[in-house]
Parts: sequence; C-alpha cells; structure tokens
Amino acid sequence: MEGRSYQRFPTVKIRELKDDYAKFELHDTDASMANSLRRVMIAEVPTIAIDLVEIEVNSSVLNDEFIAHRLGLIPLTSGRAMSMRFSRDCDACDGDGQCEYCSVEFHLRAKCLSDQTLDVTSRDLFSSDPSVVSVDFAESSDNPDNRGIIIVKLRRGQELRLRAIARKGIGKDHAKWSPAATVTFMYEPEFYINEDMMEKLTPEQKISVVESSPTKVFDIDAKTGQIIVVDPEAYTYDDEVIKTCELLKIPGLIEVHPKEDSFIFTVESTGAIKASQLVLNAIDILKQKLDAVRLSEDTVEADEQFLELGAHMRGG
Amino acid sequence: MNAPDRYERFVVPEGVKKVSYERDTKIINAASFTVEREDHTIGNILRMQLHRDPDVLFAGYKLPHPLQYKIIVRIHTTSQSSPMQAYNQAVNDLDKELDHLKNAFEAELAKHSREY
Ligand SMILES: [Zn+2]
Repeated sequence: MEGRSYQRFPTVKIRELKDDYAKFELHDTDASMANSLRRVMIAEVPTIAIDLVEIEVNSSVLNDEFIAHRLGLIPLTSGRAMSMRFSRDCDACDGDGQCEYCSVEFHLRAKCLSDQTLDVTSRDLFSSDPSVVSVDFAESSDNPDNRGIIIVKLRRGQELRLRAIARKGIGKDHAKWSPAATVTFMYEPEFYINEDMMEKLTPEQKISVVESSPTKVFDIDAKTGQIIVVDPEAYTYDDEVIKTCELLKIPGLIEVHPKEDSFIFTVESTGAIKASQLVLNAIDILKQKLDAVRLSEDTVEADEQFLELGAHMRGG
Repeated sequence: MNAPDRYERFVVPEGVKKVSYERDTKIINAASFTVEREDHTIGNILRMQLHRDPDVLFAGYKLPHPLQYKIIVRIHTTSQSSPMQAYNQAVNDLDKELDHLKNAFEAELAKHSREY
C-alpha cells in the first residue's frame, strides 16, 4: 500500500555568508523542522576534539585534569569528522590513538627557561595529521594579534610535556564537540498598522508609540508624518508597542503576526567547520537519524502475522 | 566509579531494537512506537509531519523521563490507513523534504559564492 505524500518543499535564501557565520531565510516548512535542524547543528554534528591526555611532565600551576579539560575545549579543524569513525565503533584499533580511522595524535612540549613568563598556547600542539589542527593555527598565521589559545602559563623552571588523542564526537556527549557557537532562528514578523486609527493620532502619541519599542522597529516618516516599520526583524516579540497602544486607548493600532512558515536563521560556527558546511552536515545527520528510525523488516512481518492470525481466529 | 558511559544516551545497546511497535489492544488502528535513544529532535518532526496526514486522527509523542533515553510515538488513524502506514509515510516525506532542502541550500550556496 503506497500512501499519498504530504511532503513539503522548503526554500532557502542566504542573506549573509562568512566562514564562521551564516544568516539565511528558511521558508515553506514549519517550526518543528527549523527546531530539529537547530538541535542537530548544536548537539549532533560531529567534530574532532581532544579526548584523552597522557601527561608526562606537569610542573605548571594547573593540575593535570585542569589542563586536560582546557585541551579538550580547543576547537580543531574538523573537515574530516563526517567520514571518520567513532572510537567506540572502530574495529581497527583499541582506542590507543595509533589509528588513522578514529583518532589523531598530538604532542606538546614546553619548558620555561627565562625570567619571562612563557605562554603555552594551541600553537605548541603538534598534530600527527596536518588536516586536524587548532582552528587559530589554520587561520592566517601572519595576523600578529593571533597568538593562539592559551593553555597555561609557565614561570622559570616549569615544564609541560604531554601526548593527547583527539577523537570524533558530538555535542550531546560533551559540549567540547559542538561545532556551533550559537544557532538561533526567529519567526519572520508581519506588521499591520491600522491607517484609519493612525489618522486620528496626535504627533506626540505617534512618537510615544514609536519610542515604546525597545529595539528600533518603527519610525515616523519625515514626509507624511505616518508611523512606518523600518526594521521588522529588530522586533523581539516583546509586545511593548501593543501594550503602549492599549495604554493610549488605541488598541489594535499595530498588530504583529509571526509568519508560521518563515524563519530567519543565524548560525555561528566555532571554526571547526564552516557555517555553511554545518548546515549541510546537519541536514545529512537528520536524514541519517530518520533512516535509523524506519521500521525494521521483522517488525513489519510480525505485525502482518498478527493480522493473519487475527483473521484466522475470526474465520475459524 | 560506576558512572554509566556518556554515550549510553545516544547509542542503542546491543540486543535492543531501535524501534518497537505495539498495537493498542482496545482501539483498532491505534498503536505506539517506542523509539530508543531519540528525543525531541525526531519526536517533534515526526509528530508534526503525521499531523499533515488527514487519515491520522491522533499523533503525539512523549519523552517519558529525561533519564530514559527513548520516546514513545502514539498514532491513531482512520480505517483508510494504519499507524504503520502513516509512520512510514511520515518518515519518507521528511526524508524527501530534507533531500529537497539540501538541494535548495546547495543551489543557494553556489549562487551566493558566484555573486561575492
Ligand atoms: Zn580506530
């Protein structure tokens, strides 16, 4: 039995795109799809992060666990992550870090030999895989302001020596694996201004309506003196204008309706993957998740047998 | 010491079925699907997609407890359909929607990188 399809055909419009930032419109779908995409981007798109640290020498002021935690939080370029294996699923190794399918090894050696405090940064981490390095390392190294991410500071005589294993993981496991700095979406708002009611307003009333919004959504047209919407997306659904209209005994002057099928997304990446890639990966992951929740053959068969048995019992 | 592995939250244990199906004993064309190691991400899109199907009389999901890593999707349909048929249709439609969305996003991305 093939059922009818109730599929939707969403459309996308990209407004702004940078390596670590994307702003786009998503139309013709509903909030559940927008929210699932957001959730997947934050918690289920994989990246690579340091997960295991073997400390050889640590005479710094920070204890071993503290340093291991800080290492885990350093974002690593994770273009490889989608095609890598999770360490727990890898049958080529025992998770010791010597495995090309599931892990990347890092080494760090630093010792302070002068009276000047030595900053140990992400730049001191040496990777066994040139495609998996600290995000700031991969950026333009000619930027003098970019000194890397500080791990610890050493004074004369202090030393840090360690081996670290980076693995593939997801934000649901630990936030260090989340490729998203922020992912948000908002409903596109639609404004209705009652022209007849506005005609009757004094200029003072118009000004107080315009100024009641904490963000600059409205303004007064210099030529016509009418209230106009200058930036609908600055509206934060705070209801302040609506309350002010009621207070001024002009309820219904302005109405705001969120468009139920239009969303404005902002995606900020940690740099582990590009923001645009983050969206594409999220779509792929959500597809994989849906594939995994399909009913298995034996579940369907068991139900068919149940139905046959029922028919048989009724017939007999 | 005896803390459970963090991945227990999202990896289906061996011997456990990802989706199990249970017919309602009293109402015909009603059933519950227990989906292991899933949450609102899958539950809510399935529910909303099922609502688009006019043969679905009821569709809802619940996350019984935050420490039980499963959701229960309940579906009641007319005699024109069945919970299983509606469930499969919803999954297929969402899958196709995501295919469409991916193509739309990639096309927009190509357009955007040409323009700038
Ligand atoms: Zn391995």
